[in-house]
Amino acid sequence: MGEDKSDVLRPTAGAAGSPMLQGTLDLMVLKTLESMGPQHGYGIARRIEQISEQALRLNQGTIYPALLRLRQRGWIKAEWGTSENGRRARYYSLTKTGKAQIERETESWERVAATMARFLTAG
Amino acid sequence: MTRDDRERAVGELRTIWSRCVALFRRRRLDLELDDELRSHLDIAAEENRRRGMPDEEARGKAMRDFGGVTQVRETVRMREGWPFVENLRRDVLYALRQMRKSPGFAAVVIATLALGIGATTAIFTLVYSTLVRPLPYPEDQRIVAIHDARLQGQSTGGLMSMPRFFDLRARNRSFESLAFFYFDQGTVVSGTQLPVAVQKTRTNAAFWQVFGVRPLLGRTYDARDDQPGMPATVVLSYDAWQKIFGGDPGVINRQITLDGFTVTIAGVMPRSFDVPSGTELWHCAQFDAADWTKYRGEGTRFINVFARLKPGVTLAMAEGDLERIGEQLRREYPLTDGVWQFTSHTLREDRYGAMRPALVVLMIASALLLAIACINVANLLLSRATARQREVALRRALGASAGRMTMQFLTESVVLGVIGGAMGVAGAFALVRGVAARLPGRLGLPGAVEMSWPVIWVALLIAVGTGIAFGIAPALENRRIELNTAMKRGETRLGGSGHGLRSALVSVQVGLSLILLVGATLMAESLWHLVKNPLGFAPEHLLTFSMKLPWNTKESVVRNLYGGIQEKLETLPGAIAVGQMDALPTLDWHLRSNFDADWLPRTANQPAINAEDRSISGNFLGAMSVPLVEGRGLSKQDSLVKNVPVLVNQELVREYLPGANPLGRHLLVDGTPHEIVGVIANLRGTAGSIANPPGPEVYWPADGNGGVTERFFVVRSQSDPEQLVRAIREQVHAVDPTQAIGNVATMDELLDKAVAQPRLNMAVVASFAGIALLLACVGIYGVVAFFVAQRTQEIGVRMALGATRAGIAALFIRRALIPAAVGLLAGAGVSLGLTQLLRSQLYGVKANDPLVYAVSIVALLVPVAIATLRPALVAASVNPVEALRAE
Repeated sequence: MGEDKSDVLRPTAGAAGSPMLQGTLDLMVLKTLESMGPQHGYGIARRIEQISEQALRLNQGTIYPALLRLRQRGWIKAEWGTSENGRRARYYSLTKTGKAQIERETESWERVAATMARFLTAG
Repeated sequence: MTRDDRERAVGELRTIWSRCVALFRRRRLDLELDDELRSHLDIAAEENRRRGMPDEEARGKAMRDFGGVTQVRETVRMREGWPFVENLRRDVLYALRQMRKSPGFAAVVIATLALGIGATTAIFTLVYSTLVRPLPYPEDQRIVAIHDARLQGQSTGGLMSMPRFFDLRARNRSFESLAFFYFDQGTVVSGTQLPVAVQKTRTNAAFWQVFGVRPLLGRTYDARDDQPGMPATVVLSYDAWQKIFGGDPGVINRQITLDGFTVTIAGVMPRSFDVPSGTELWHCAQFDAADWTKYRGEGTRFINVFARLKPGVTLAMAEGDLERIGEQLRREYPLTDGVWQFTSHTLREDRYGAMRPALVVLMIASALLLAIACINVANLLLSRATARQREVALRRALGASAGRMTMQFLTESVVLGVIGGAMGVAGAFALVRGVAARLPGRLGLPGAVEMSWPVIWVALLIAVGTGIAFGIAPALENRRIELNTAMKRGETRLGGSGHGLRSALVSVQVGLSLILLVGATLMAESLWHLVKNPLGFAPEHLLTFSMKLPWNTKESVVRNLYGGIQEKLETLPGAIAVGQMDALPTLDWHLRSNFDADWLPRTANQPAINAEDRSISGNFLGAMSVPLVEGRGLSKQDSLVKNVPVLVNQELVREYLPGANPLGRHLLVDGTPHEIVGVIANLRGTAGSIANPPGPEVYWPADGNGGVTERFFVVRSQSDPEQLVRAIREQVHAVDPTQAIGNVATMDELLDKAVAQPRLNMAVVASFAGIALLLACVGIYGVVAFFVAQRTQEIGVRMALGATRAGIAALFIRRALIPAAVGLLAGAGVSLGLTQLLRSQLYGVKANDPLVYAVSIVALLVPVAIATLRPALVAASVNPVEALRAE
């Protein structure tokens, strides 16, 4: 039955496979789409790599389960289109609920980060 | 719930929905995913090339950056839909392919299951229709039947007398309305038509409140119509409306002549309303309590009483109330009510309670059959699982998990179960549709037994359950397969436990079959006794019909009419003898009286004899061929004297005057002596059912004592009695054109109806037992044949080492017969317990009759032995050289 091989998603560095990472990746994708508008999978992956400045080196493929997850929740939608050099590619864009979600996700992420920071300084 | 939580929940729901949708778009989604990944790699490679990498390296780097393409693809696919459901679908398709590959095997399995599930479904339909689903009246659980019962001894079928009904109505605190009804036979004259005999039921107005069913047309009569002196009203049944009035909607408020009186048709009931069953016309009784005070004693009980409980009143509370009133009446009227009490029963109990033990027996029988069918299929699947070991081993070696394989095998058996179940349900549906109307008694009424959705759901649930039940053994056995041996040897080999399991299944199967066989044999013997034991009369070539005059008809009119018809019929060519009786054997009819006797001591308020009354006229003994044991029969003259003489049956003599001569002694009614002039044989069927032993009975001249107004004529004929019907109608018409005859039937038909229920039970259980026996034999044959096939090589070795053919055959016979013997012993033990349930259904045979057991065991052993012998002989004929070379 559904043997979920989630270890595939493990990035080459960083917090290995933790649920936090999943949420992080989701937020990164949403943010990327917010700032860049509709993008295909490769574009999103490259953008995340660039922004994180190699601190988070992920297999680009890891982006696809995350895209599926966001699409299933109705936060992003996908459409086939043509890339700048004439290739067929699947473009993802934010939905209305997705836009609202960014705010919430950001808030909750900041809360976690702040809590974490307090812990680390309290030590 | 916070906003976040709500958003998350909405997200989860969307996810579930989108995964469900994905189930139906698998192929398209796969193509899209592949396209997307390919486009990703193309774009990445192109960018690399643009940065100046050679083509090969650009592609390589794109692949490296991406990570494992296959892994990503699988992960996405897994989360896109429901892997469990998709596997299930694949397994189902695989199972269907397997079935196509070996259609013979599939057909046997499906047919076996269809038999088991079909039988169970048909019987469950019967049980559900009678004992489970609500009866077709509003708030049916509030309707109760109130019976009048003797504190001890035989009652009159629960019938009540009018004064007790009025007392009950005045004193109770539990009932919203209290109805009575009694059967009556009426003659309707409408317009210029010939008189028609109708099955009439007289009721009070509360009858309609108790059952609460609205009329189809017009209205039902109400409390105002029920006052004495008001215009008489009737309500028609749907069938009578169709039959007599051709379904004319204008019949409402039409006046017709009923038994010589003018009555008004108030309404027509819907077709589904059938209380009491067979009623064609309900006639408002208009009884006044003051008119009935005299009719309290024995012989005055004639009404059935039903009531509707007040809201919130339970049956237990009503019982307490009835007991209180019963106690009051016992104190107030010790002479007439002293030994009587009221009992209450739910409507369902009243209607189907007597059938419950039989239904339980049938239900158990069908469950046993289903169990046997399941075991057979389990056995078949076990053998097949063995044959498929190589396939399983191969798939396991290729990486299928044990759980996945178990799942696949269970899916296969559930698919078989569901197909078999669906066919069984379809078969049961057709069967129920076909025979429902021909079921005996109440069960045969329209709508009484029909298949409904709950039954179908339960049946399909059973089908899935059986699929899992019989699939679990082979599925588990596959887990034990040793990969390397199964692959290497290329032959099927099981551990010893597999044999043990099969032997145990044989034991259980034989045991269950024995239980069914014992049950069937007992019921068959009981039925045989029921039909073949002396009835006290000869039913062949006997035509019967009934006539009825209003109860207050003058004695001279009664005597002239029935005497005139008697004379006319006696001269009819083909008629050998003609007689009359007020209620024929097999009729559930009761009239009891108390007597004193001149040979017994007389105590005040303590009647010496309580006996059933019957009235006869014409050549009754001759027409029915009732043996006259002593003395003489009754003549026409006997009805003319003041203190009419009587006949008694043998049972009365046995109980009250054993060993002495009853002739010339007298029975006393209120001091008036009636001489006993003859003793006749006991007539079975005069105590309601022909299975009930006849009690003491007294036979009166029907034309004496004021004249009995209702008569059954019995006409013994030379040949087919049906041919006389026309002539009889003409003769009756000639005597009195306003009279009609009703209830025309041969005595054989009446008896046939009387044994229809036990015969049906017997036939069902016997056919179940037959099927069970067949399945058991197939199962045992299969198991032994399997043992033999498994061990061909071993047989070769044994023979090479000097074993004889007889020895080899004996080896396999032992293998099968030891578990069979264990099954027989266990089955016999369980039967002894279970057949106690049958006790109330049996007539003339004991539930633990050793002969029945002996017969059943032999009936089981013979086919089992044959089923064992054939494959065993095959084993013995194995050629040792070939058996050894085969490997």
